[in-house]
Amino acid sequence: MAHTESSAGSATPAAAAAVAAAVDVATRPFALVGHFESPAQLYRACETLRDAGYEHFDAHTPFPVHGLERAMGLPASKLPWVVLCGGTAGLSLAVWLAYYSQEVWYRHNIGGKEAFAIPSLIPIFFELTILLSSFAAFFGLWAMNKQPEFFHPVMQHPSFHRASDDLFFIAVEARDPKYDPVATRALLETLGTRELAEVAP
Amino acid sequence: MSHAPEVLGDAPDVADAERLDEATGKKLVKVAGAVAALGLLLCIAAYATDAKRFAFSYLTGFMWVVTIGLGALFFVILQHITKAGWSVAARRHMEWVSAILPVAIVLAIPVILGAHDLYHHWMGPQAASDPILVKKVAWLNPGFFYARLAIYFTLWATLAWWFARTSRKQDESGDVELTHSMQRVSAPSVLLFALSLSFGAFDILMSLAPHWYSTIFGVYIFAGSVVSALAVLALITVGLQGGGWLKRVSTVEHQHDVGKLMFAFTVFWAYIGFSQFMLIWYANMPEETIWFHDRWQGSWKAVSLTLLFGHFIVPFCFLLSRHVKRHKRALVAAAIWMLAMHYVDLYWMIMPTLDTGSAHPSWIDLAGLLGPLGVLALVIACKASRGPLYPLRDPRLAETRRHVNL
Amino acid sequence: MSAAKTPDPSGEIRNDLMEDPRERAPLVLGGQNFHTVSNKVAGIVEEKTSLKWILGLGLAMSIMLILVGSIGKLVHTGIGVWGNNHPVGWAWDITGFVFWIGIGHAGTLISAILFLLRQKWRTSINRAAEAMTIFAVMCAGLYPAFHVGRVWFAYWLFPFPGQMGLWPNFKSPLVWDVFAVSTYATVSILFWFVGLVPDLALMRDRAKTKLRHTVYGIFALGWRGSHRHWLNYERAYLILAGLSTPLVLSVHSIVSFDFAVSLLPGWHTTIFPPYFVAGAIFSGFAMVMTLLIIARKLVGLEHLITMRHLENMNKIMLATGTMVGYAYGMEFFIAWYSGNEYERFAFINRAIGPYAWAYWTMVSCNVIFPQLFWFKKVRTSIPAMFVLSIIVNIGMWFERFVIIVTSLHRDFIPSSWSYFRPRLVDISMFAGTFGLFFTMFLLFCRYLPMLAVFEVKGVMPAADPHHEPAAGLGSVGSGKGGHGHGAH
Repeated sequence: MAHTESSAGSATPAAAAAVAAAVDVATRPFALVGHFESPAQLYRACETLRDAGYEHFDAHTPFPVHGLERAMGLPASKLPWVVLCGGTAGLSLAVWLAYYSQEVWYRHNIGGKEAFAIPSLIPIFFELTILLSSFAAFFGLWAMNKQPEFFHPVMQHPSFHRASDDLFFIAVEARDPKYDPVATRALLETLGTRELAEVAP
Repeated sequence: MSHAPEVLGDAPDVADAERLDEATGKKLVKVAGAVAALGLLLCIAAYATDAKRFAFSYLTGFMWVVTIGLGALFFVILQHITKAGWSVAARRHMEWVSAILPVAIVLAIPVILGAHDLYHHWMGPQAASDPILVKKVAWLNPGFFYARLAIYFTLWATLAWWFARTSRKQDESGDVELTHSMQRVSAPSVLLFALSLSFGAFDILMSLAPHWYSTIFGVYIFAGSVVSALAVLALITVGLQGGGWLKRVSTVEHQHDVGKLMFAFTVFWAYIGFSQFMLIWYANMPEETIWFHDRWQGSWKAVSLTLLFGHFIVPFCFLLSRHVKRHKRALVAAAIWMLAMHYVDLYWMIMPTLDTGSAHPSWIDLAGLLGPLGVLALVIACKASRGPLYPLRDPRLAETRRHVNL
Repeated sequence: MSAAKTPDPSGEIRNDLMEDPRERAPLVLGGQNFHTVSNKVAGIVEEKTSLKWILGLGLAMSIMLILVGSIGKLVHTGIGVWGNNHPVGWAWDITGFVFWIGIGHAGTLISAILFLLRQKWRTSINRAAEAMTIFAVMCAGLYPAFHVGRVWFAYWLFPFPGQMGLWPNFKSPLVWDVFAVSTYATVSILFWFVGLVPDLALMRDRAKTKLRHTVYGIFALGWRGSHRHWLNYERAYLILAGLSTPLVLSVHSIVSFDFAVSLLPGWHTTIFPPYFVAGAIFSGFAMVMTLLIIARKLVGLEHLITMRHLENMNKIMLATGTMVGYAYGMEFFIAWYSGNEYERFAFINRAIGPYAWAYWTMVSCNVIFPQLFWFKKVRTSIPAMFVLSIIVNIGMWFERFVIIVTSLHRDFIPSSWSYFRPRLVDISMFAGTFGLFFTMFLLFCRYLPMLAVFEVKGVMPAADPHHEPAAGLGSVGSGKGGHGHGAH
């Protein structure tokens, strides 16, 4: 995996890009990555890390493991607020558009109804509210996940292609104050983590 | 999501069945009985004062409890038909609420006595010279009307009684076969329920304005019934949880589900109500629009707007948040509000037949509500104090205990 | 797990019909683990193209050519090539539109409503059903687009500040349709794509060629299964489900408003919105059924789309079919009860007038035949449900035809009464839409995972982090690639 580009931001000077990745990893890895074979093991590992005071670690799983956020100590998603804003914007847009197009710009008496006859405008209010809420949910999701992001350091782990299949990865980031190359590795090994490897940034 | 699931106690077993302690049970029955007695006294006074107004007021209160009971019966049937696992305890509470349906046969007597006032448009002598009503006489005639009422109420009472009894039988025997038999019966039951509720709505409520017709009317009544039954369920759930019962079978997760269903059916009510109103308003045919026109006169307009805001917009915004649905006092407030709005809804459907031009609320209306309400409370209190608070040996009890919302 | 070695997979499937309220039956059979599920579903896409598929696509595209030709004729000559004429100004065109829109609704029901109702069995069928939704909406969209005659002006349907200063009439149900159908198409695609991303990442990670890796990689957006992402993802999925649920109700309600806001007997009735929604879901389930019975057999997905899944779908068909029957009954009763002679005539004319044959086809296909689903034997018999699903598809087309044409062909003035007969382009265009639909569906089956792999894995017992006894079993045999290919 090409990681030299993204390593430019690390302490290593650009000239050292040619140096073997192993040296780079040894000086400042991005994270210590390993995997488990079951969600239950991963869950216990996350609980242990959380209780040991780690904050910058992540799990990578083929499907959402329910309750893992509690084991990891993560807060709830803020996405609903984004969607609420989208919905409000959609409803406002619909009311504005209906008012100006029907009442102001192109006023006509149709079927004896008032120009801005609310009962007959509700379908349009509704649809635009849903449309903009959905856009907010969709784009909000990718924005909050900072995706598309086609390269991420954890993808360099030799078995990471199975993170979408049947392995449950744990990645403890080096920036975590509790991170220690030896102690963290030892902790993860006692939890039964397999194929532990440090990945470059 | 960061809500930690509440830790449940040990698996329930029959030996330490959860029941209301005797003192609480007695107190509940006493309070409810006092309300019922007061209500019935007021009813008698109201009847003596103004029998005609009382007939309408009583019909409103009566239908308020009947629709709540029907919503509860529907909930019970639905849990069986869908083999639901989360709702084992809730189902028992709805069985209590649906027990009003057998009692409703007795409560219907004042309606029958007042029928000539209530349905005077088509029961009175002028019906014979009404060109539209003449065409409907095969349906709208007193004999057939009473026969239909007898069929509806017998059916509802039988269904409510049978499901509650079979469920109680399982408390004793723990026989899994009883679950299967309730599931089998639930499918045809829901069919009978849908037909009887729709025709019941046409007969008891829609025929108050016998020229008017709307195919969705039965569904509209159904939507209101389920919302109000769920509101009662929310009150029972939060009440029992708050009193320290149900510790082993019901958590905030179950309360959250009741809140979600209440929210969903509030939206459903609005959808059905809007469909009915908008189509009639849009086509603007005199024989249909008249019904809404009557409800847009004088102070009825304020009642119509109260329904729009109070039965939909306000509860929609309030119940949208998961925090509200998981908050005990907030959910109780929403439930009481929805029950009040369901009364307003029925008042809005029934009373304009009497108070044409403008609403004239009176103490008689309160009497008409308080009597049936007291009886409903008494029925629930008796059921709650006499048996286990949840189906002790339901095969899905283990599942309901594990239930968590995502 | 020893069941995995059972040579006869059908033995497994028969066990699937056991009922025990004490525990939920497994949704994935045949001793699968996470890896074999991946293999099974991704394998369909990764295998060499089969001759069957090429022949199927060839057939579908040939039928699609009929559509292309019909549209060419329509645009070149004008919409007069349809048999529509006074008083039947709407006929096969809007019948086809409503038919296809309705088909789409089952996909949204499965993906959104069943999700909100925590029906875990939906995971095996939602992807294909959602895809079907999108393709059905594409077919439906053709009708209003080409109905405008000069299709290059179809954009006039949308509100935009043009130099002519014209704005569409927002009080018209046809404009509501424009909003509803375009919102529905957009949201369905967004929802579908969100669901696809983790599976596209799986396809990317399994890719053996550079091209596959790149193409799936681009659409997977760099998904890496981070739990911080899953948290937002699951919330977004829940919200999109919550938005799609009222949306799907609104779409067919608004379609029903096209008719119900009018004054026409047989169209103007207040039960139309929920009645149309129930009918839409009914017809959509019939179509999902028809497609999945074939697809499941062809690609060997019997362990993932089990008899229990099919039976559940049949139950939903029975329920929605009965709701439709309820609506037929209510319409008839209220038409009589109204005392309105026009209403009464419209319904009596449906039952015994010149279109009685269509009316009784509708009633028997939609209400009478589906009653067979009361019997478990029928609900669990593949040939029976296949035939019934096709009967329902036919019946639901007739329902729209009956509503539209019978109400129009008897105008208020008897001198304009007539009898509608379809012309060649009516028939060929409708037939051609099936070509478009099946072409899209076959392409979908070939290039995208047709089951939501990550969701199916999520409902397996081993996916529960507190499921200790089975923990670890979920990945037993994960090293033995190709273990799950036995059924191919």
